[in-house]
Amino acid sequence: MSTPTMDRPDDVAAAMAADAALRARVRDFYDAYYDALDDVRLEDWPDFFTEECLYRVIPRENHERGFMLCTMQAESRGMLQDRVTGLLKTQMYAPRYYRRFPGPLRVTVGADGIRTRHNLLMVQTLIDRQPSIVLCGVCHDRLVEDEGRLRLVERVVVFDSEMIANSLIYPA
Amino acid sequence: MSTASSPASRDSTQQDRPAPRRWATDGASQVPYWVYSDEETYRRELERIWYGPHWLYCALEAEIPKVGDFKTTTLGEKPVIVVRSAEDEISVVENRCAHRGVKFCQSRSGHAKDLLCPYHQWAYDLRGELIGVPFRRGVRRQGGMPADFDPSKHGLRRLRVEVVNGVVWATFSDDTPPFREYLGEKFWKHYTRVYDGRKLEVLGYNRQHIPGNWKLMMENIKDPYHAGLLHVFFVTFGLFRADQKSAVDIDETGRHGVLISRKGAQEVNDVTADMRNFQGDLKLADPRILDVVNEFPGDETVGMITIFPSVILQQQVNSLTTRQIVPAGAGGFDFHWTHWCYADDTPEMKLRRTRQANLFGPAGFVSADDGEVIEMCQQGFAASPDAEALVTMGGHDIAPTDHMVTETAIRGMYRYWREVMGL
Repeated sequence: MSTPTMDRPDDVAAAMAADAALRARVRDFYDAYYDALDDVRLEDWPDFFTEECLYRVIPRENHERGFMLCTMQAESRGMLQDRVTGLLKTQMYAPRYYRRFPGPLRVTVGADGIRTRHNLLMVQTLIDRQPSIVLCGVCHDRLVEDEGRLRLVERVVVFDSEMIANSLIYPA
Repeated sequence: MSTASSPASRDSTQQDRPAPRRWATDGASQVPYWVYSDEETYRRELERIWYGPHWLYCALEAEIPKVGDFKTTTLGEKPVIVVRSAEDEISVVENRCAHRGVKFCQSRSGHAKDLLCPYHQWAYDLRGELIGVPFRRGVRRQGGMPADFDPSKHGLRRLRVEVVNGVVWATFSDDTPPFREYLGEKFWKHYTRVYDGRKLEVLGYNRQHIPGNWKLMMENIKDPYHAGLLHVFFVTFGLFRADQKSAVDIDETGRHGVLISRKGAQEVNDVTADMRNFQGDLKLADPRILDVVNEFPGDETVGMITIFPSVILQQQVNSLTTRQIVPAGAGGFDFHWTHWCYADDTPEMKLRRTRQANLFGPAGFVSADDGEVIEMCQQGFAASPDAEALVTMGGHDIAPTDHMVTETAIRGMYRYWREVMGL
């Protein structure tokens, strides 16, 4: 986040405080987001997004070559809810845990919201097996103020780990 | 490969290996588990099936539109380069330098004037002919290749190729019949229903490694019995159900199959009572994924074709993909999905297809089920190679049916497999 040029030390201090407060809120947002997913509280997940939103988990190859196709895609909070319904009620998969390790956040503020970028490592553990990497990529997100809290209006997870170890079950 | 390494035996590899296991029963209604796990059997499959008289899926023509465009892929276990070598010509050459065997092209796709090995800079033209050997005549009259070195004898191995309505096929064998004959007239009709000559365009890729034998993927798409039970999403929302008018067709050899069905409604009836997971009251919050349009002649909404041994041609409502199988040992295979659309699709139609793609691929509402259950099959087989899978749904016959409560197409494949494998 760039600090504007200020003449008076008071203004500089105020801007820095606001900047620190915003960064703290954004970090808290991601802590809560990843806690919900790591704890498999899937029902809580769609509420981290605005009603109209874009969620994409896309192989790096598709992203770089301009292909539209995503491995997971949602164009609304409703579609995210349907993902959850699928996971809880219709899909069949072996039991497993995912644990997500986000890297340091880069935060920039623009006219269309707060843009963040961070690496993400997702480790999968199946029963009686060694943990393995299920996803390794980078998240390009945009957050906005919505109903008094921060919410994702866009999240694009571009993953390098294109040869997926069988299935990608839970979201990133 | 020890027994097949001498030049004299190169053309008779089929006779080299001992029959590793015995299939104890007649017919194809019981499939012994060693067919999925025995490495000797797998080696024989590579020779007789993958490198034998069969057409293998390589690419969509739309992936390499300009002369010099290439993509790499793997046929059986052999890496190849698929390249547009002239305006109206596609070549498929082994990605293995004739000098020292280097898999020299490491890119997934790209554009090149010629094919160059980085090790000693041997260069090949786009058809695989050797055109450049640095220091061939030596350096300051020292060294160099012998006088009898003939570059024309050291090109890349070139495969037979057919480009059929936008799809590139290749075969290692001189004995493979022309592609249309390989499909047979019935399957030519199934094939051209979707691959009708219109230009195709790539929407994107999905890739996954499934830790199960490659034949399990073929079986999965020859098995309509599971589709109406395992895939609760399909069943619940009526995309594929046992009570819908449907059909299974197989070719005369038994190796190719197609599942044909029609979309129905979300309804409770006498058949849903047999589906323990049926979710009659489930609602989607945003049902745009189910916004399907009928775009092909007739009222069938599903046509899932298995072209033995390498690919599944998927038409499930408006989602169109090729799913390429790349075997990797007896216990696993890579699965490459190419999702495509017609080049003249409206933006709305393209969006519809990408939306419906959420059903498929490694995170698909239904396809993730398949990857998972194939892994579980392999886990079940591993310790009991001599036990047998039962493939008797619909009886013992191998013939097309007008319903989906059958495993006839799996039996068809194993009847053919036993013939070609001599087991």
